[in-house]
Amino acid sequence: MLTGLIAPTSGSATVCGHALSDPRLRRKVGLLTEQPGLYDRLTARENLVFYMRLNEVDEQAAWRKAEKNLERFGLGGRSDEPVGGFSKGMRQKLAIVRTLVHEPSVVFLDEPTSGLDPESARTVRDAVAELAAEGRTLILCSHNLAEVERLCTRVAVIKNRLRRVASLTELKREGLALEIRVEGDAAAWVPALGRLPFHPEALAEGSRLTVMLANEGQAPDVVAQLAATGARIYAVTRAARPLEEAYLELVREEAS
Amino acid sequence: MNFSWARARAIFWKDFLDLRKNRALLASMSALPLMLVVVPAGVVWAYARRPDDPNLEVIARYYEATVRGPDAVRFLIDKVLVDWFSVYLIMPVFVPILVSSFAIAGEKERRTLEPLLASPVTGLELLIGKSLASLVPAIAICILAFGLLCLTVDFAAGAAVLPTPMWTFGVFVIAPLFAFFGNGVAVVISGRVGDSRLAQQLAGMTVLPLVGLAAGQFGGFLKAGFTYYLLITAFVLVLDVGLLLAATRLFDRERLMTRWG
Repeated sequence: MLTGLIAPTSGSATVCGHALSDPRLRRKVGLLTEQPGLYDRLTARENLVFYMRLNEVDEQAAWRKAEKNLERFGLGGRSDEPVGGFSKGMRQKLAIVRTLVHEPSVVFLDEPTSGLDPESARTVRDAVAELAAEGRTLILCSHNLAEVERLCTRVAVIKNRLRRVASLTELKREGLALEIRVEGDAAAWVPALGRLPFHPEALAEGSRLTVMLANEGQAPDVVAQLAATGARIYAVTRAARPLEEAYLELVREEAS
Repeated sequence: MNFSWARARAIFWKDFLDLRKNRALLASMSALPLMLVVVPAGVVWAYARRPDDPNLEVIARYYEATVRGPDAVRFLIDKVLVDWFSVYLIMPVFVPILVSSFAIAGEKERRTLEPLLASPVTGLELLIGKSLASLVPAIAICILAFGLLCLTVDFAAGAAVLPTPMWTFGVFVIAPLFAFFGNGVAVVISGRVGDSRLAQQLAGMTVLPLVGLAAGQFGGFLKAGFTYYLLITAFVLVLDVGLLLAATRLFDRERLMTRWG
């Protein structure tokens, strides 16, 4: 809707000062869809030139910039090959270059790493991080909260409606978490924490246990419970809660 | 956004390029013109080789009782060529159906529609660009096939029997109108079903009336001629206007997005 593809049933919004119904909006925004949406029989160069022509940009200047981006994303020598022979990661990177051919002020990225193998997902994520470093506004739509944590500075949580808009650090700061390093697999101590009267949420990753608390007073009880059940504790630090926890809490608030 | 020929041309360029690289589609596009050239040339050759065959006079008199002796072969050759024009008209209808169904419903199948509609292209530019990408090759194929038909038929007849004024008018005026019809049908159906093969099959059924007319002519029930083809053309022209209005309405960006996206 914010890219001007479909009209809102009610309400209004502006992007770069343009109302959603204003066709000029589409010159200001770039959209990277979940599927790259490339023409397989056409070469990478032909795919890009097509979008340059649709955007009526100076083709030579746009091509020079596109060539630099192709080079940057490791597609430098492949511009005259048909896209049909590209891997998923290469296609997604080419789609990113296509999104930039008209120098949009705002770029919408819809699940850019969905369906990619870990290696391709990483290269695409790196490419997105590079774009963000250029100072362009990027809007990432994702269910992958780890990816959001890595790439975003501000987060909008949407579940049926907009629940919250805040900076990433603000969202993670709200609520207290303890990070406890124990001997062995931390997952073994999660059931013990469930026996506490305030039933704290706990996430285990290797030997690290992240425990969400409602207040600081619960911290000694958590440590005591772990020690009482035989856990050998090496370190206890106060930590920001993971984004996943913040998200689940916002969604649960609505349900309750 | 104002209409831009540059964007319509970009759509045409991309679809035309894609078509040139689609060998399967090119093969199916060239099979029909070849058949439409080879069959009448073969029939004319068979007639011309047997000028004294009394059976040909019998066949000629079935269509026209006044035909006598040596005129029978020339009469039959002329009749075959006049009647064959109905069959030839299948080509300008069918080729745009093949191309348009693929170019329009194919955008949905290949998941290319969303980024395309996120660009500044308007529905009208999309419609014009895609229609040109289907009409230009269709009309070019019709003209090339006609040139080949003239050469082969004249060679088979051993005389200059083509081009006639009717065929020339038909190829340069009637065939483009039929191509416009084929493209319009494919656009409207592709916009509805969003699956290129189904769109081709459904739109392909529109050539059946032409097959019926040709059967009526060869069976001697319909007498084809210049006026006959003009009447059919007038009818197709009315259909073209209706299809153009329907296609323009259908190529609304939001409708495309919600129906296809």
